[in-house]
Amino acid sequence: MSLSTAFNVISSSFTANAAQTGVVSNNIANVNTPGYSREIANVVTNSCGGSDVASITREANAALLEQVSSSTSQAAAQQAISDGLTTLAQTVDDSSTASSTSGANQNGASPSAMLANLQSALETYADSPTSSPAADAVVSAASDLASSLNSASATVQQVRETADQNMASSVNTINSLLNQFTAANNAVVTGLQTGANISSAEDTRDSIVTQLAQQVGVSTTVAADGSESIYTDSGVTLFQDTPRTVSFTPTPTLVDGASGGAVTVDGVPITGANSPMPIQSGALAGYATVRDTLAPEYQAQLDQIAGGLINAFGESDQSPTPTLPSLPGLFTTPGETSPPSMSATTGLAAAIEINPNVDPSQGGNPNLLRDGGISDPGNPAYTYNTTGAASYTGRIQQLVGQIGATESFDPSAGLDSSASLTDYANASVSWLQAQNQQASDASSYQNAVATQASSALSNATGVNLDAEMTNMLNLENSYASTAKLLTTVTSMFTALLQAA
Amino acid sequence: MTTVGANFVSTNYLANSLVGPVMQAQTQLSSVMTEESTGQYADLGLQLGDQSGYELSLKEQVGQLQTLTTGNSVVSTNLSTATSALSEIQSNAQTTLNNLAAWTPSGTSGAALQNMGQSGLQSLISGTNTTSGDQYVFGGINSAVAPIADYYSTPTSAAKTAVDQAFQTAFGVLPSDPAAANISASDMRSFLSGPFASLFQGASWSTDWSSASSVNTRATIAPGQTVTTSTNANQAGFQQLAQAYTMLSEFGGSALSSDARQAVATAAASLASQGVDSMVNIQAGLGASQSAVTSANDSMSSQLTILQGQLGNLDNVNSTATAAEISSLTNQIQMAYELTARLQQLNLAQYLPVA
Repeated sequence: MSLSTAFNVISSSFTANAAQTGVVSNNIANVNTPGYSREIANVVTNSCGGSDVASITREANAALLEQVSSSTSQAAAQQAISDGLTTLAQTVDDSSTASSTSGANQNGASPSAMLANLQSALETYADSPTSSPAADAVVSAASDLASSLNSASATVQQVRETADQNMASSVNTINSLLNQFTAANNAVVTGLQTGANISSAEDTRDSIVTQLAQQVGVSTTVAADGSESIYTDSGVTLFQDTPRTVSFTPTPTLVDGASGGAVTVDGVPITGANSPMPIQSGALAGYATVRDTLAPEYQAQLDQIAGGLINAFGESDQSPTPTLPSLPGLFTTPGETSPPSMSATTGLAAAIEINPNVDPSQGGNPNLLRDGGISDPGNPAYTYNTTGAASYTGRIQQLVGQIGATESFDPSAGLDSSASLTDYANASVSWLQAQNQQASDASSYQNAVATQASSALSNATGVNLDAEMTNMLNLENSYASTAKLLTTVTSMFTALLQAA
Repeated sequence: MTTVGANFVSTNYLANSLVGPVMQAQTQLSSVMTEESTGQYADLGLQLGDQSGYELSLKEQVGQLQTLTTGNSVVSTNLSTATSALSEIQSNAQTTLNNLAAWTPSGTSGAALQNMGQSGLQSLISGTNTTSGDQYVFGGINSAVAPIADYYSTPTSAAKTAVDQAFQTAFGVLPSDPAAANISASDMRSFLSGPFASLFQGASWSTDWSSASSVNTRATIAPGQTVTTSTNANQAGFQQLAQAYTMLSEFGGSALSSDARQAVATAAASLASQGVDSMVNIQAGLGASQSAVTSANDSMSSQLTILQGQLGNLDNVNSTATAAEISSLTNQIQMAYELTARLQQLNLAQYLPVA
């Protein structure tokens, strides 16, 4: 071994040291970058006995990354559902009520509580049928009930429209992420061919997949040339060499019964009942579930309550031989001429109102509650109080009974088909709160899983500052030693030349 | 180089590991503090889930029982008003009965009979027209109209006209006519029990005397329990007393012979005594309703206690538990702050000599 060989070794040592320092610096610089995978310089002995950085490995962990993205998708879906249900649950919010001391009028804002208020007002009226304040109280309780159904229905519509807007922005995000992915993926593929450092491009790819997982559940595969393909969790291709077009037409107004558009990938629907491969997770799936399943089901229940109310308070022909049809009484909808069929109640909750004939603020007569004939004032056929007695309570007690009487409901609304109005309204509250509770629990659980998975990934692939500092010290020492070596070899050369 | 394995922890994770738990503890703290101040779960719907409907139905039952209890006070007031009016009517009738027993036919005693009749009839009419609030308590369901019209009104009431006509038809003269002195006691008796009595029954009663409905008001006093909450002026007792007072008032001071007048007094005494019995019976009926209301109130009050206890179990938090939770959460948050500060010190760079 000659002195010039020593020079070569020293030179390679400096090069390797610089490369390693670069890696350490890079790692330290990205210590707080989420999703950054730390790099490791692989040092090997070269042909003349020195050291070379042969390659830089990226400390990736595909399995953990997969877990992070799938748990992120689940958490995002449950979060979207929980957000929607929380808004819906405001329509039955009674948490501010002090139950132990509550009077009849403080049960909260739910249609169910309003129905109980109406029943109380009717019972009070039955005790004082000559009292016009009592009659007015019934009318105002009925009016509150109708408004609570109207506003609950408006809330459902608003929740669906918000979900629809969210779907639109989610689809935009997906498309833009897929375009960004194209660039990163191309960089990886060409980098592999040219032997360039692809770590940063790979980080970008992973980070895009994780962001994509927020919106829609995804799975990925990597081809031999390093190109990564992305599929939805239902197996529809989102990216393979080129991004697929995800399209969605938003529906700005979603009234009761209207259905929103489906999200399609290359023309294949991935949301909605007609989708052959519906997506299971991600915020997009959550929004679609709220818009297409949960909110419409709650709306159907509200409509059933409205239909049941109109029927329960309807008036029938009181003649000895009835010939005339039954008519809507206290509760009706604009232009309604016959009690609704319970299998076609769409839109009733939004439209239900109290009959103007009984509303004193619209010139009506509240005493018709006691006497009957709300549907057609003055028509003796619908008059229950035939003698005009002031303390006639037969009709009022009949109405109180109607609230508690078993009625038939359409089973497609997801609740018992045979129940009293009160029980049905309560069952609807139970249904909603149970869904809300489940979604909230699932959301917390999935969030915890996602956090856990992210921590595991961060620990497996992230940067430890102390470890990097230690490496840095090693490199510093090695640099100092090499420099010392260089001085020594130089002085040996000088000594040799002077001797010559 | 670096050893990778279970012992490896990333600095980023280490720095942020406490953020999540602290945020969670803070959220929890805010809801526990709400619970501590209100005594109820912060989000009842979320807490109860599918039990929400059950909780609502309990609340509704509580509300219904409270409404019924409030309504029962109205029912009670009506019942006591009716009962006290009835007992007033009864005691007046009893006084008349006593006076009649002490009465003996003599020259001027006709005026005494007439006075008894008039004052008795007036107090019967005012007693029967007693109101509670804006309702006539003896009107049946037709509570907006005074049950008995004033007999002594001007123009002459239908009832008085009918009485005069009946007398005229039977004897051809008016009671005040001196020729009425020729009417025999037996003719008078058969008139009183025949044409005169029929004026106080059936259609004549409801045309000339009473506007009351024979249908009594009923009220729900407890879930599924209704009681009759009034009586009406068409009951036999009212008719008997009206009949007794009217005959005294019309025929007592008339030109009748003392035999016939004795017959009137006897007939009136017998009717008044029947009337007293009827009033007692009616009062007993109302008393039964009154005691049904009282016992319904008692049983509803104990039901309310049970229901409110159940509601409390669903809605209320244990205040000792929330207090303990608040202190443990506060400790946890303080500990996390402390740790975060210390972790910041755990940095190799701090211990390296400055080059």
